[in-house]
Amino acid sequence: MKLTEAEGKQLFQKHGIEVPYGVLIELGEEIPEVPLPGVVKAQVFFGDRKNAGLIQFIESQEDAQTSVQEMLGTEIKTEVVEKILVEEMVGGVEAEYYTSIIYDTDSRGPALLFTTDGGTGTDEASINPFSILSGPTREFITQVLTEQDVAEDEHERLIAIITKLWTLVTEEDATLAEINPLIKRSDGTFIAADAKVMLDDARYAPGERRFLKLDGDIGVLASGGGASMLCMDALLYYGGNPANYTEYSGNPPREVVAEMTKRVLARPNLKGLWVVGGFAGFTDIYETLSGFVEGLRQVEPKPTFPIVIRRDGPRREEAFEMLREVGEQEGFDFHLYGSEISMAESARILVEKINERTA
Amino acid sequence: MSILLNKDSKILIQGITGKEGQRQCESMLRDGANVVAGVTPGKGGQEVEGVPVYDTIAEATDAHGGFDATAVCVPPKFARGAAVEAIEAGIPLIQVFAEEVTTQDSVHILEKAKEKDIRILGPSALGIMVPGETKIGAVGLGKTNSPFSRGPIGVMSKSGGMTGEMSNTLTLAGIGQSTVVGMGGNQIVGTDFVDIMKLFNEDDETKGVLVFGEVGGTYEEKLAEYKKVTPDCKPIVIIVAGKFAGDLPTGTVLGHAGAIVSKGRGGYDSKVKALEDAGIIVAPTLDAVPDLIKEHIL
Repeated sequence: MKLTEAEGKQLFQKHGIEVPYGVLIELGEEIPEVPLPGVVKAQVFFGDRKNAGLIQFIESQEDAQTSVQEMLGTEIKTEVVEKILVEEMVGGVEAEYYTSIIYDTDSRGPALLFTTDGGTGTDEASINPFSILSGPTREFITQVLTEQDVAEDEHERLIAIITKLWTLVTEEDATLAEINPLIKRSDGTFIAADAKVMLDDARYAPGERRFLKLDGDIGVLASGGGASMLCMDALLYYGGNPANYTEYSGNPPREVVAEMTKRVLARPNLKGLWVVGGFAGFTDIYETLSGFVEGLRQVEPKPTFPIVIRRDGPRREEAFEMLREVGEQEGFDFHLYGSEISMAESARILVEKINERTA
Repeated sequence: MSILLNKDSKILIQGITGKEGQRQCESMLRDGANVVAGVTPGKGGQEVEGVPVYDTIAEATDAHGGFDATAVCVPPKFARGAAVEAIEAGIPLIQVFAEEVTTQDSVHILEKAKEKDIRILGPSALGIMVPGETKIGAVGLGKTNSPFSRGPIGVMSKSGGMTGEMSNTLTLAGIGQSTVVGMGGNQIVGTDFVDIMKLFNEDDETKGVLVFGEVGGTYEEKLAEYKKVTPDCKPIVIIVAGKFAGDLPTGTVLGHAGAIVSKGRGGYDSKVKALEDAGIIVAPTLDAVPDLIKEHIL
């Protein structure tokens, strides 16, 4: 779970890492008195906020009004600006550093990244793995700072900040905590001008079902973490264009599948629907496909496009018998397949059926 | 021969009295596993499918001697404690089934295991199937028609579900499997493609390996790097899932915790290029796999 800059900075403050004073403004709120001179920052995940006009510098309360009004409600890619952080301008900037703590796949453990070349040149940061059992020790941090040619009189303050960052990572179960830039002021103190924090989904969003909107015209209700991704690739391979990506694993109750079905069928301009999954070991195919039918019945107007279903596993026969009946009586264009054909083959069939209709 | 397990391997199940533990126990016994004991704190003295249950691993060890492997079938928040108990008992192979073990807990388990030279499979690892011989975990759970058959192809997969689907595809084409390993799709796992490939390379029965990879992380790239510097590495056919997500924002999480949309290293194009440069065959779809295996391996 990615946090916004403002949320990340709240965690920084909680763990004693200094951040600039700021006020958070939400869509529909009055604009309070803001610190001046200040920086107006849209709270979105979009990478290059500065060039998109989503970071602006202000001198007066009037400037703040103009900037905030201009930014609020702006759409950038898939996001809408709903919150804006107005912060005091950090004075006496002497240098901009970069530091972060991540979990590194290569070393399969935590790593400290640091460079004195903060801001944009962060690819230069050295990756320094350390043990989770000992944490980043004084000696370890000192060594990293020395390798990065950081003057010795800065070490004490940086060790304190990195130690706090590690406490944040462990106590909050963060998978990433990044300060960029970490501003060094002329009085020798440091302040975190930006915050990027990711929290562990395993703790904060267990069992979450992912739903991604895409720009195609084929709805997809897929099962299985790996199989669902492979199916999306197969659909593209056969010339289909998915309108969404979503996936359920395990054995969800029928209400959950009904809700997911409605969500998929709410995508605009659909020309087909694909219900697909591998040979299930213990997912109850009858229950889950009953949930699918419940969802389908609630969709207005009634879908008349081809619906290809490729599922197999426990109670598949019962499920298909039920679907055949529903299809005939209620006029759905179902095409039912078990594991006698592959998942990819069912993608090809769906694309073919859609093309037949539009030809 | 198989890798990691054989029919004589003495297997323990931690969390054996839970719903998941019972289901896996039944399925493991059915597929030939030598499950000698189970552990659930507070449930010592019970039996599951005829397997005796103990309160602690220490008690189980006193009664049965050491174990070759343990299946950790406990809920995510207990996984770290259970795995550490197994590490301290010196069980050389620990399979952690639970998904949604935090990265922090996972890394903690891995570092503890490293100190004792113990192998962790997972977290989020479905398990290991040695067709016709033994298994550990939830591979081939509850299937009446097993998709597995014995033969010359090693299988390793980030996805649990795809271990069955891939084996089924092979079996239908008359190609058997030496050992099938579901290693888990988290960003950090205890045993990765390279670790398993090294074992397959030493296994006489295995003629080549089929891999299911995904976007995110660098385990596919590392496999490519290993293949490049290992002249006697056996041939590899791989499927990499997640091509469709190329245009989605970086950091978007797909079907598994470690399947993260990435640009550059970790992304689909980077993986495919690295794999192809290393002479690994990248299959466009699962359907294409049997012919590719017949052409390049058998």
